[in-house]
Amino acid sequence: MDYSFHLPNSGHNFDPKSSKLGMWLFLYTELLLFGGLFLVYMVYRELNSEAFLLASFKLNVWMGTFNTLLLITSSLTIAMSITALQKGNKKLSINLMWLTILAALGFLVVKYFEWGAKFEHGLFPGMDHYGSLPLGERLYFYLYFFMTGLHGLHVIIGAIFILFVIHGVKKGTVTPERFSLSENAGLYWHFVDLIWIYLFPLFYLIH
Amino acid sequence: MSDENTVHITSYKEHISTWAALMLLTFMTVAVSVFGAELRTLSVATAMIIATVKATAVGYYFMHIKYDPKLYKWMMGTVLALFVFFMIMLTIDYLTR
Amino acid sequence: MTVDTLPYTTFYKAKKGIWSWLFTLDHKRIALLYLYAIISFFLVGASLGILMRLELLNPGKDIIEPHTYNQIFTLHGVIMIFLFIIPSIPAIFGNFFLPLMLGTDDVAFPKLNLLSFYLYVIGALFALATLVFGDGPADTGWTFYAPYSVKTGTNVTMSVLAAFILGFSSILTGLNFIVTIHRLRTPGMSFNKMPLFVWSLYATSWIQLLATPVIGITLLMIVAERVFGIGLFDPSIGGDPILYQHLFWIYSHPAVYIMALPAMGVVSEIIPTFAQRTIFGYKAIAYSSMAIAFIGYFVWGHHMFTSGMSGPAAIIFSILTFLVAIPTSIKVFNWLATLYKGSISIETPLLFALAFIFNFLIGGLTGLVNGALAADIHVHDTYFVVGHFHYVMFGGTGFAFFGALHYWFPKIWGRMYNKKVANTAFTLFLIGFNTLYFPMLILGIMGMPRRYYDYLPEFTFWNQISTFGSWITVSSIILMLANLIIAGRKGKRTTDNPWNGITLEWQTKSPPPVENFTKMPELPEGGPYNYPNAKKA
Repeated sequence: MDYSFHLPNSGHNFDPKSSKLGMWLFLYTELLLFGGLFLVYMVYRELNSEAFLLASFKLNVWMGTFNTLLLITSSLTIAMSITALQKGNKKLSINLMWLTILAALGFLVVKYFEWGAKFEHGLFPGMDHYGSLPLGERLYFYLYFFMTGLHGLHVIIGAIFILFVIHGVKKGTVTPERFSLSENAGLYWHFVDLIWIYLFPLFYLIH
Repeated sequence: MSDENTVHITSYKEHISTWAALMLLTFMTVAVSVFGAELRTLSVATAMIIATVKATAVGYYFMHIKYDPKLYKWMMGTVLALFVFFMIMLTIDYLTR
Repeated sequence: MTVDTLPYTTFYKAKKGIWSWLFTLDHKRIALLYLYAIISFFLVGASLGILMRLELLNPGKDIIEPHTYNQIFTLHGVIMIFLFIIPSIPAIFGNFFLPLMLGTDDVAFPKLNLLSFYLYVIGALFALATLVFGDGPADTGWTFYAPYSVKTGTNVTMSVLAAFILGFSSILTGLNFIVTIHRLRTPGMSFNKMPLFVWSLYATSWIQLLATPVIGITLLMIVAERVFGIGLFDPSIGGDPILYQHLFWIYSHPAVYIMALPAMGVVSEIIPTFAQRTIFGYKAIAYSSMAIAFIGYFVWGHHMFTSGMSGPAAIIFSILTFLVAIPTSIKVFNWLATLYKGSISIETPLLFALAFIFNFLIGGLTGLVNGALAADIHVHDTYFVVGHFHYVMFGGTGFAFFGALHYWFPKIWGRMYNKKVANTAFTLFLIGFNTLYFPMLILGIMGMPRRYYDYLPEFTFWNQISTFGSWITVSSIILMLANLIIAGRKGKRTTDNPWNGITLEWQTKSPPPVENFTKMPELPEGGPYNYPNAKKA
């Protein structure tokens, strides 16, 4: 290099505002990814409202409610962990993140039992009982598995994301001054919660 | 970086009150659904309204759109407007077939 | 000559070896990787197109079987749309020139940029792998309409996954550009002082970001249908195949503007440079890009007028479609007004820009014929539509793409091509292009359906003209690329600013150093197109 010249607006600088903006843009993409599914749900709901109603009785409201409360609480813990980090309380921050991951695992375990029960009844697309369901109910279960499955995948990704942040805080790359990663993990996790806030009433509460 | 980085730190108190409100709304929506089954469409509408209130609370407080620059509100608004437009056009198509 | 003659290292020579290219974080190198990949796929797609035109030389079978023909037009569509046009201008020229035009040294997330490129490569491999794996490439058309895409035995799953991965690459590029534009502008450059190419990339990026996920999820649904064997769009279980079309076009219509907007941005750069005159209606052009991006979301239904969509919905979509024409024509009038009383120097890039306007005008107006509800019933799914979108995509974006290549060639390689050969190639290209596609418009009006392997004898004449045009077109493209390749290796060294441009990329060396600038770039006074030597009107 012949020059020691550096632009003030370099793309290689660390810029928390860039990473936050980037994260939000990514969430908009995710929002419309689920958005496509919500559109499908909306149209098929219009076309088969009776069948959707009947099918929804086959889900366990209490398990759904429990999971909802779990996710909301995990949203609280991750939000508080960011506050803790910003205030310099690393230990509390890490513990709160572990709590969030614990809630994520709890959510997945409940989901596992819920799905397991549906499998036992042969309600998964392609199974024998599924084939004997009325037309609209098959669509309902198809969408149920597709949407909660995709959401479950996001829960797993979110938990892994938070694991990275915990690692970063321990290693010292995520600090009270440089908390972008933790903030972004938080945004992602809230987004996962946000999707569930809609999935829950749409599948469990439409009696 | 030092460019006017006045970070807003949301207080624990604000987080906890948001959480309490969300819990309350969840109980409400379950109650309406389980005990108000004969309301039918009305109960669906209530469920959606409550979900939207909850989503707004999560976005506004937990994701601190409240403390973000206006840009974020504009972007979010645009995205939602697009999605609502998709819903409206699809509904028009299917209801007028 | 060069502003200062201090020695510097170009980004080509900064590091050596194949790995320094494959794992580079330099936006300029990534842009060139894209360039080589995209041009290669363009040639593959073009060869498939030539094959189709050969088959259509005479009625009946000429060289290939009907089933192969179906696979070829599908692969042609998938390659040209997802591997060529959508990434072409943003991924190559956007990557290379966005940071230069903003006066910065890279995009906001250089690693993400490299990831986008590799997603592009993986997606491309998936698309090509259908040639080898399964029962050959999909035969559904690039639209993958359900229920046929679920029922056919060909390898739809892989083609669809290819489109999904390519979409992801496109989303990440868009995300990167938006953040770059928001955060990395040189001090003093407000949004209203950005070059118009940057504006068009900004609008494009928003479409990439907000439309692509919808098709991503829709294509996943098709995959799920094929894997589990149960149709979400299958009417026999209460589903609706038209819903697939809705979701497909919610993305794919805005995608048309992903293809067209950057091309308009290129034209908005070329015209003021070669007229040496301030662009007429800077704000009108900039904001009309945003308007096109926005309104572009509201018109997807015009692809479905004959599908069984409801009448009222069709009427609304038809009206909205006409609205898109307004911002587009605003641009055309502004470009023409810019040329008026300019000191025009007719160079190859300007010729391409003018051809863009000419072709895009035909493409745009025939588009309005399609958008008019009643007229569309007659021309829907005929060659008229094929002619129309090739005028927009190839005659518009394709010409702008090659125009951009000729415009920025001296900046990228620091050398100049043989202008006479370039002009000859351009002339042949324009003639060949119109000979190739104008007959399609006529054939469509006459009633020849699209995607047909065979046709009635009365269509023979125009089909043969069209095939003849395809030969001229391909020869001109070969001539043009050969000229550029030779120039890249042996062309005459050129100055840093051969066209007297004043946007920031012309203030640095040709080719640029790794850090893009060796001193702070200076914003031109009074806006990005305020040419100092412009004639006072």
